[in-house]
Amino acid sequence: MSRQHLGSIALVAVIAMATGFVLAGQIKAQLLTSSNQVARYQALVRSVQDLEATNAGDRRQIASLRAQIDALESEAAARSAATQALQNQVTDLRAHAGLIAMHGPGVQVELRNGVPGPDAGSQAGYLVNFQDVQDLVNLLFAQGAEGIAVSGRRITPLTAFSGSAGQVIIDQGPPLSSPITLLAVGDRNRMQATLEDPSALPDIRARQVQFQLHLTYQGSADLSLPAYDSSLEIPHVSPL
Amino acid sequence: MSALSKRPSRGGSTGRSRSRARGASVWLIAFLVALVATIQIRSQAEVERSLVGVDTASLAFLIDDLHRANDALDAEKSDLAQRQATLQSGSSGAADQVLTEEANRLRALEGLVPVHGPGIVIVIDATGLTALDLQDALNNLAAGGAEAIDVNNRRVITGIPVEQTRNGVSIDGVVVTPPWTISVIGDANRLAEVAGLMSQQLHADRRVREATYRVEADVVITSVVSQRPFVYALQS
Repeated sequence: MSRQHLGSIALVAVIAMATGFVLAGQIKAQLLTSSNQVARYQALVRSVQDLEATNAGDRRQIASLRAQIDALESEAAARSAATQALQNQVTDLRAHAGLIAMHGPGVQVELRNGVPGPDAGSQAGYLVNFQDVQDLVNLLFAQGAEGIAVSGRRITPLTAFSGSAGQVIIDQGPPLSSPITLLAVGDRNRMQATLEDPSALPDIRARQVQFQLHLTYQGSADLSLPAYDSSLEIPHVSPL
Repeated sequence: MSALSKRPSRGGSTGRSRSRARGASVWLIAFLVALVATIQIRSQAEVERSLVGVDTASLAFLIDDLHRANDALDAEKSDLAQRQATLQSGSSGAADQVLTEEANRLRALEGLVPVHGPGIVIVIDATGLTALDLQDALNNLAAGGAEAIDVNNRRVITGIPVEQTRNGVSIDGVVVTPPWTISVIGDANRLAEVAGLMSQQLHADRRVREATYRVEADVVITSVVSQRPFVYALQS
């Protein structure tokens, strides 16, 4: 048997072995993703991206329309004392509904994903979820917050939190994910004291230990909150 | 001589053919290895790039949520455009009309006035449920389209403190003892779906003795919250 022949056999053996390893690894890791599956994922992701772009455009238009309406109301108020009185009332109501940007002393809180645990059953515990944000917002309102914004989304009297797998959806906004920043304007000392209380936010505290979930906060002399830029429609409610 | 010369010649030709065949099979196998490896790497890269940890079901739910959200934004845009047109008409009293309607709407959504409308009434009788349980229930209803909520004659909006006290769960400083009657105004069909799921979960909870809901054509909520003046916040 010639040296060249032996070399060819060895080469074939090495390549066959490599093929075997690749195939075995593929089957073991179940990573044989069919092109159809990938295409389906991509189509879904594209739909989400398109809808998010529409969402952002709609919110910009809503903010612009509200500013134009405000200007028209101010023009009318300048011509009538009665209209001026009405506008003052509405301005106050809008401020409490989160429809007007505000600023003042407060706290800035940051929530960041932790590290996945070895136990597959608790794999989502390291992710910031909507309940974390909901708990923080409730706590801060209970402890003197007068206005809150979560990663640029203003909280209103009708705000609802939802989401899954590390995504936080607030009202009609697109999903937010870690890091999540909460700005709360109000009684800064009270809010800071409650955030320092180890008995507050028990679920987040437990996951700080288990998954190194990050919760950091600091007081500030002046924080700015944006105005709410989504829908506040209540079509089913009528005053008595 | 010619025969002798032919034999080696024939043998050389066969050897070269075998050698070419071996070479071809080596290249074929190498090609297949490269192909499999490329497909593998590209598949992984595609999945990682497009999914970033979100499964198909979550994406589908997200699409559903975004459709609903964008519909709500469209409705808000139409309403605002109509208000703008009324104000631009310059007709006598147009601004007063727009401002009065806006004030009434905001008072209703901020819980400052009694309200009514279609919705559901949920009754939960349980021992040991906490403020977090009630907060979760209220958030589920808000996410399901609740526009006004009352628990045991206490009006609830986002921002009203729902806290755990020694005597039980309090809403805005007043303890609400079970059974909790939660009256909700909003899209009755959506709210009924949410209430159905909540009832199922509550029935599986040992602390819960009763969890029922009913759909009503006209739910009346007379409780109101008091508006707190801002002490720290200033308008920008």
